[in-house]
Amino acid sequence: MSTEGLILFFIAGVLMVGGGIIVSNLVAPRSTNAQKLDPYECGIPTIGPSWMQFRVGYYLFAIMFLIFDVETVFIFPWAVVMKQVGMTAFIEILIFFVILGLGLLYAWKKKALRWE
Amino acid sequence: METYIFYILAGAILIFALLSVTTRRVLRAAVYLLFALGSTAGIYFMVEFLFLAAVQLLVYVGGVVVLIIFSILLTSQINDRLEQPEWLKVMATMLLVVVGAGLSLFVIREYDFNISETAMTAPTVSDIGLKLLSYGPGGYVLPFEVISILLLAAMIGAIVIAKRMKEND
Repeated sequence: MSTEGLILFFIAGVLMVGGGIIVSNLVAPRSTNAQKLDPYECGIPTIGPSWMQFRVGYYLFAIMFLIFDVETVFIFPWAVVMKQVGMTAFIEILIFFVILGLGLLYAWKKKALRWE
Repeated sequence: METYIFYILAGAILIFALLSVTTRRVLRAAVYLLFALGSTAGIYFMVEFLFLAAVQLLVYVGGVVVLIIFSILLTSQINDRLEQPEWLKVMATMLLVVVGAGLSLFVIREYDFNISETAMTAPTVSDIGLKLLSYGPGGYVLPFEVISILLLAAMIGAIVIAKRMKEND
């Protein structure tokens, strides 16, 4: 697609979506009440503010996710050349996984994975 | 075309960075930071540093911001708005920012960038992979395995600290 085509496509997309929202805003009938402004419309009025504190338990999972996330960064180039390098690459990643697996084993043993 | 995309991305980074420091809700600041980091990844894609872009998306957008958002959700002050800062502080900060930017610009302007004759090619992902897995001279297989030990240490450390935090509750 040419540059002009792409820009036209972008403008047309913005116009169509924006036009739909504006027209429906002008045409639609309005009714407002307090419960309509709730974050989740489930019929029961919320108690207290909806911006609330979360449990500490989530944090441990976030940290573990981050560590395996960083691990993915190193698996990514490995996966690209795995076939090319062959057996050596497989053994190298196996060592990598075993060492990291120890971490998961530790987390399991310490009951960090259990939801309390 | 590339110029347009660059200006759109650069504009997005600037706008979201500004929103991130000016918003008074701490969770919103984190979400604006997410968009700023994502736009930075876009710039990396544009200059064809594909691996760096993937790392930026995976680790910063996917990991670090999630961690920041989680730690914000854990604080009890999440519902509060930050106080409007005093004008004197705002002015002093702006002055410092201008001086810092001026200093950086001055240093960059002094340096004459030599445009090399040979076309620069960014290392591809497979180049990085081959280097990372080679055990010959100039190979990085030992650092590659040491990284896993580093990650293991980080994970055990995080679990130990988090467990102690729970016991103190």
